[in-house]
Amino acid sequence: MWNQIGQALHDSMARVMTQIARLLPGILAFIVALVILMVLGWLFAALLRWVLTAMKFDERIGRATGSIAELSPQHTPTMIMTRLLFWCFVVLGVLVGLSAFGASSAEPGVPEYIFAYVPHLISAAVLLFVGNVLARFLSRSVLIGAVNLNLTYARLLALGVKWLVLVLTVAMVLDHLNIGGVIVDLAFGILFGGIVLALALAVGLGSRDLVSRSLERETAKPAEAPAEQQKVRHF
Amino acid sequence: MAGIEFPAELQKRMEETAPVDLLVGVTGAVDVEALRVKVGRLRGLALDGEGSHPSRIAVAYAGVDSDDPVTVTEEGVLLARYPMPAAAGEMNLWRDVSNVQRNVLALAAGWQARACMVVYSDLAALEPETVRTFAEPVLKGGIDLLMPIYPAGKYDALINKSLLAPMSRALYGRRVRWPLTADFCAGAKMLEKLADGSRVKSEAGLLWPANLVAMQGGQINQAGLNVRHAPPGEGLDLNAVVRELVGSLFEEAEANAALWQRTRASQPATRYGDPYPLVEQEEPVDTRPMVESFVIASQNLEEVWRLVLPPATVLELKRMARLAPEQFRLADAVWARIVYDFALAHRMRRVSRTHVLGALTPLYLGWVAGYVQEVSGATAQEAERRVDQLAKVFEEQKPYLVSRWRWPERAV
Repeated sequence: MWNQIGQALHDSMARVMTQIARLLPGILAFIVALVILMVLGWLFAALLRWVLTAMKFDERIGRATGSIAELSPQHTPTMIMTRLLFWCFVVLGVLVGLSAFGASSAEPGVPEYIFAYVPHLISAAVLLFVGNVLARFLSRSVLIGAVNLNLTYARLLALGVKWLVLVLTVAMVLDHLNIGGVIVDLAFGILFGGIVLALALAVGLGSRDLVSRSLERETAKPAEAPAEQQKVRHF
Repeated sequence: MAGIEFPAELQKRMEETAPVDLLVGVTGAVDVEALRVKVGRLRGLALDGEGSHPSRIAVAYAGVDSDDPVTVTEEGVLLARYPMPAAAGEMNLWRDVSNVQRNVLALAAGWQARACMVVYSDLAALEPETVRTFAEPVLKGGIDLLMPIYPAGKYDALINKSLLAPMSRALYGRRVRWPLTADFCAGAKMLEKLADGSRVKSEAGLLWPANLVAMQGGQINQAGLNVRHAPPGEGLDLNAVVRELVGSLFEEAEANAALWQRTRASQPATRYGDPYPLVEQEEPVDTRPMVESFVIASQNLEEVWRLVLPPATVLELKRMARLAPEQFRLADAVWARIVYDFALAHRMRRVSRTHVLGALTPLYLGWVAGYVQEVSGATAQEAERRVDQLAKVFEEQKPYLVSRWRWPERAV
């Protein structure tokens, strides 16, 4: 019996090793393709940076990229372009690597499945990035706007906006990746609806007096304001 | 002609009637009948000194008629219509005025005028004596730019007093009271440079005549102008005003960094004419809403301020937020450094520019609260001295700006 167990283990070990040996050239080809394309990407990005700097690209399109700069203030247009080029090469490297992996693999179904999934992954990553930047930008805009309106709950408003956008983004990303299916839609609907209902109840019942007092204060303000405004002139 | 093109008919008529001694350009829409009455009073005005020949004067205003764009009035003054430049679109305080001012200056350059006086559309400055006061030093004395000093009370034009004027003085080295004005007179040498809007990078680029002429090394003088214009942009909130005016000044600072870093101490700008009248304001001002704005900001905007200001300044602001409203003061040196740090953050884009300027507004209100409390018992003259003292502190703190501008990542 021990001989049979030993034989079975030996056979399975041999099968696994054979599988790994079959996959190794594919993995190696994947890594080589990725590294080559990354090096190429780095070189082309450096070349593009040099060309754009020589062209004074940032200054030339300073006016047109105002909105980009507002959303992503720490990145100059040149930096964004060079990074975009580099990551294009990285994605290309992954695709070429996967193709090489598929060619050398005995199971062609795996790379094809991954190939079909790559566009979803890319768009999900883009969605996540844009959602993140947008959440941060909108949250800060609401915070500063609310402070300049003298709203004491400015930070709460900003936090609310930030999480609303982030939750929306995550739901979209999961939907894009086909993870969770209907559960995500349902959970998001419940969460979103719940927040709105909670706010409506809070305003309608719990904070009725607070809201009415706040509104009264707001409507009373214009009558007092002009007198003070006339005394202090900013411009 | 500085990148601004005029209709062919106007261009042709300008060439036929050129040159003129003085072009008086009215900025903005105007009541033509009132203008004709005012123009009539300029008859026989001699601007090259006593006993000189009457000057050849042209007056230009915005308008589009199908008739001849240049006519000669009974008094011998050339009256020209130029097309109004397209409005900036959204509601703005000074952008449209600046665009029209550039057009007027380009018109003067095209007309080969020896001087150009820009006057606001309410025509308050279009009086023979005012025209003489402004144009004579330019035509006769060779001054490059004559800026007005408006009569103002101690609580008037506070953005100008707290930020625009002191920062302009520190950066460009000229003690000009009003760097952004509706009326001024420029000499022929400066016309094209002032009219050139191509160096303005953004839509918000305003025309800062004194700063531009200072950078060209031109001679700037000032004269009292006893008019009070109704400010444009009625209904604009303070945040929008700060965004437009301060944003433009910061952009100018970024564009001209190589020049202002070389400028050392400021030079006085000689004043012509009678001392300008000051308006006494006795009524007390309630500073509590301003202090309240500052306190709310210090509770909520710390994360933004920390991206812009060094830790010591943030700490100082937190300390101030705990003070009783009547003890509230923002020290001049702290305020000057705050403004410089915000100018740097605007340049570095550590936070988006809209956010940088939005986060500055409550700090400005904090300065206003402190200033109002400090000068509440003072005369207008004493308040002026107080503002002058602030401007000196801005100059003293300039090395801080230069150092941070050159090495922004270095800890302070």
